[in-house]
Amino acid sequence: MLRTLAWRAAVALPTLLVVSSLMFMALRLLPVDPAAMSLPPNATNADIAAMRHTMGLDKPLPVQYVIWLDQVLHGNFGQSIHFRRSVAGLVSNALPATIELAGSAMVIAFILGVGGGLLLFALQGRRSELALETATTLAMSLPEFLWGLLFIFVFGVALNWLPFTGRLAPNLPQPSGTGFLLIDSLRAGRLDIFWSALLHLILPASALGIAFAPPIARVLRASLLATWEQDYIRQARLRGVSETRLLLAHALRNAALPSLTMVGVQFGFLFGGSLLIEVIFADPGIGNLMVDAVRNADLPVIQAVGLTYCVVVLVINAVVDALYMVLDPRLRRA
Amino acid sequence: MSLLTVENLTVTARVGQGGVARLAPVLRGVGLALDKGEVLGIVGESGAGKSMLGRAIAGYLPPGFSVAGGRVDFNRRNLLAITAEARRAMLGREIAFIPQEPLSALNPVRTVFSQLGEHYTHLGIPRREHRARAIEALAEVQLPDPESLLRRFPHQLSGGMCQRVLIAMAFASRPRLIVADEPTTALDVSVQARILELMAALQRRAGTAVLFITHDLRLAAGICDRLAVLYAGAVVEEGGAASVLSRPLHPYTRALELANPALSARRGLMVLPDHMPGLAALAEATGCRFAPRCPVRSHGCAEREIPLIGDDRRVACQYPERTLGITPSAPAPPHRAGTGEALLSVEGLGRRFRVGGMFRRHGVTALEDASFTLREGEFLGVVGESGSGKSTLARLIVGLDRPTTGRIILAGADVTKGDAAARQIRLANLQMVFQNPSSALNPRRRVGSIVAQALEAAHRPTVEREAVAAELMRAMGLDPALVSRLPAQLSGGQRQRVNIARALAARPRLLVADEIVSGLDVSIQAQLLALLARLRAGGIALVFISHDLAVVRHLCDRVIVMQQGRIVEQGETERVFASPQADYTRELLAAAPPDIGAPAPTRLLAIPPPAG
Repeated sequence: MLRTLAWRAAVALPTLLVVSSLMFMALRLLPVDPAAMSLPPNATNADIAAMRHTMGLDKPLPVQYVIWLDQVLHGNFGQSIHFRRSVAGLVSNALPATIELAGSAMVIAFILGVGGGLLLFALQGRRSELALETATTLAMSLPEFLWGLLFIFVFGVALNWLPFTGRLAPNLPQPSGTGFLLIDSLRAGRLDIFWSALLHLILPASALGIAFAPPIARVLRASLLATWEQDYIRQARLRGVSETRLLLAHALRNAALPSLTMVGVQFGFLFGGSLLIEVIFADPGIGNLMVDAVRNADLPVIQAVGLTYCVVVLVINAVVDALYMVLDPRLRRA
Repeated sequence: MSLLTVENLTVTARVGQGGVARLAPVLRGVGLALDKGEVLGIVGESGAGKSMLGRAIAGYLPPGFSVAGGRVDFNRRNLLAITAEARRAMLGREIAFIPQEPLSALNPVRTVFSQLGEHYTHLGIPRREHRARAIEALAEVQLPDPESLLRRFPHQLSGGMCQRVLIAMAFASRPRLIVADEPTTALDVSVQARILELMAALQRRAGTAVLFITHDLRLAAGICDRLAVLYAGAVVEEGGAASVLSRPLHPYTRALELANPALSARRGLMVLPDHMPGLAALAEATGCRFAPRCPVRSHGCAEREIPLIGDDRRVACQYPERTLGITPSAPAPPHRAGTGEALLSVEGLGRRFRVGGMFRRHGVTALEDASFTLREGEFLGVVGESGSGKSTLARLIVGLDRPTTGRIILAGADVTKGDAAARQIRLANLQMVFQNPSSALNPRRRVGSIVAQALEAAHRPTVEREAVAAELMRAMGLDPALVSRLPAQLSGGQRQRVNIARALAARPRLLVADEIVSGLDVSIQAQLLALLARLRAGGIALVFISHDLAVVRHLCDRVIVMQQGRIVEQGETERVFASPQADYTRELLAAAPPDIGAPAPTRLLAIPPPAG
């Protein structure tokens, strides 16, 4: 298993290299001049030229890329032009919020997806299957930001059940530590903060997760149907194993693999989808940072955030590969 | 009172869709009785309903199938009328099943121990005793190192080992009845012999009754007390095994026996026309279902329902006295080895595979130092068990793979390298017929276009292609009207003929056939063997790969015996079978099911203890 993960990492490096260089080139083609932007409006052309020189913008593009890459490899992502702070600091402050959101959304999508898949399978041929089919189609066809707005209106404004702005109630202090509120609050022993953070997560995470559950459910149902025809299911049934046990102890794990692929593919989209949700729910994560950076043509931040997305997708892929081997012993090499 | 009584059991299947749905009887008035400790063989070809009998006993019929009448009494309870709960409690405890495909009958993601443990829990054995029980049970089925085996997954075991695990599970509760549905069909011949021996020993010790479902009359002969022969859903003959075999009363039983090539001598085969009625035909059929294929039928056979009559020896035929008069319809093909010119020469051929990941790679030898010569018009049999390198050899000859050592000379030209020139020579001289016609034929092409495919590459005009297709269809004994069908609309035997016809369209001098009759029923196999024997008259040469020694003896002039990638013996078929030189050849011959009427297989004991 370790060998496969090592292989994964070896493949990830060139991927990152290609992504970063593409991004670097693309952003340099934009008609914005970071040097001019970082100077006051009354700066002269000479000032700008001098600034371009100090920022290294007068060097050829490949040289600029190598300089940038060298800095990135030393952990230095540069200074944000807009926020006037270190980019690394900005990203590492925002990242935990997004991971917490996307992670919870994935958990919700996973629970709904696996539950829905099992239910679709169990109800096959009955009239209620059609109702559930309709529900999944509906869940899938609305985009996540519409779910977000709908949830805010219904559960936040009309029913006033759940909070829908920020990550915490305004009167609570943000605990120090990893930046993951759910973890930090527990470490500080502040259950009130934990509870508040959890409540704040429910609406955005549900809005984000709900659209991703139906594909998982459908893939799971399809592979359950195929697995159900296998000899080992029939043979277990002939040993007197109950239908429930056949489903949960024999078929589910075998049928899980295609759904797992689905989850892996979707997590990338889900991470990207968090952008709009963060904006709607005023959640200070990577998505909001990206929106601010794009609005202000803050190139160093855009680059760093883009690279972060890429790393997240690669890590998720590696995790999925590892889970594959946990679930299916045939993939483990002796 | 018998342990299991089946009375007048009828199971029907829905055929056709919508308003025109009809009911086809897949089992029709079946009556059987099985006593405690008795072994009853249910013999029949695929579609005869023999597996359906097992499924009816288990109470799990496939969707669309239902019991239309009759009783199944087990231990004085009507199995057709018990609750699902009661059935579950009984399955695995009083009635156990041994499956056909051991490799796929165990859950691939759970360890051997977890699956045995689950069964022990079902049997009410406390968890703390599971490990000891499992180790004991695996030792009982003669699996080496049970302790470490418990941690393994099914894919790490061979088919024979999986079957032993399943047998250990089946016998765990000392059940009263075991239903074994083709338990050795998927296994190599030597493994098959050892598995049967093991089952017999356990069965005798536990006093278990066994319903042994098989397509192989010869196999059933060796191990069953009584036999019931099924045809088109009904029992056509039933009685003591020895009596049924030595003096068959039903023409079908006799034909089945004569359709099998013999291991001990080359003989003619009984080739029945056509095939058993399928589901749709069963819905229509009346009278004696066998009559259309019967060599001794009379007027009225097809019109009248023929009852199964007799006491200890029952038969459903009006003219049982005619049965013994049935003789083989196709003569044994003549031997004629080694006169023609060399067509294919293989010299020191070897193939090594590199396996493993980036590190710690190692080589596996699939084939080593194989040398032989095949002459024009010669039929060469290649026999050996799975993993012996037979299929690797075939792939190398046809150029699907390249050898790591050695040379291949085809029609005087060196084709070892597999370059464009070699490809041309191969295309002009040889064709391959693959084992499984269901996957070898493109499901979206019509039969006619499949058969004439080879002419497409040569840009022959459509008229010519159609003419050739029709001619080949006739030569294969197929109705030329079938050209407009899709492969899925054909029977298994028809598909394999189309598969062969396609290979012949290119007019090859050499045909390489990998296990092309192994998945087929004996009566269909006999038809194909007769077909191949006819082809030989046309002067074609054949490399015939098979695990079935009797078939090779019947068909081939010369034979190569392979074991673990090496040729251990080769020579003229009669010589090799009459006086085998290699120990391995002798073992293979001893392990094969003996011919009907041959002495009981005490020689099984001569085989060394198993690895698989």
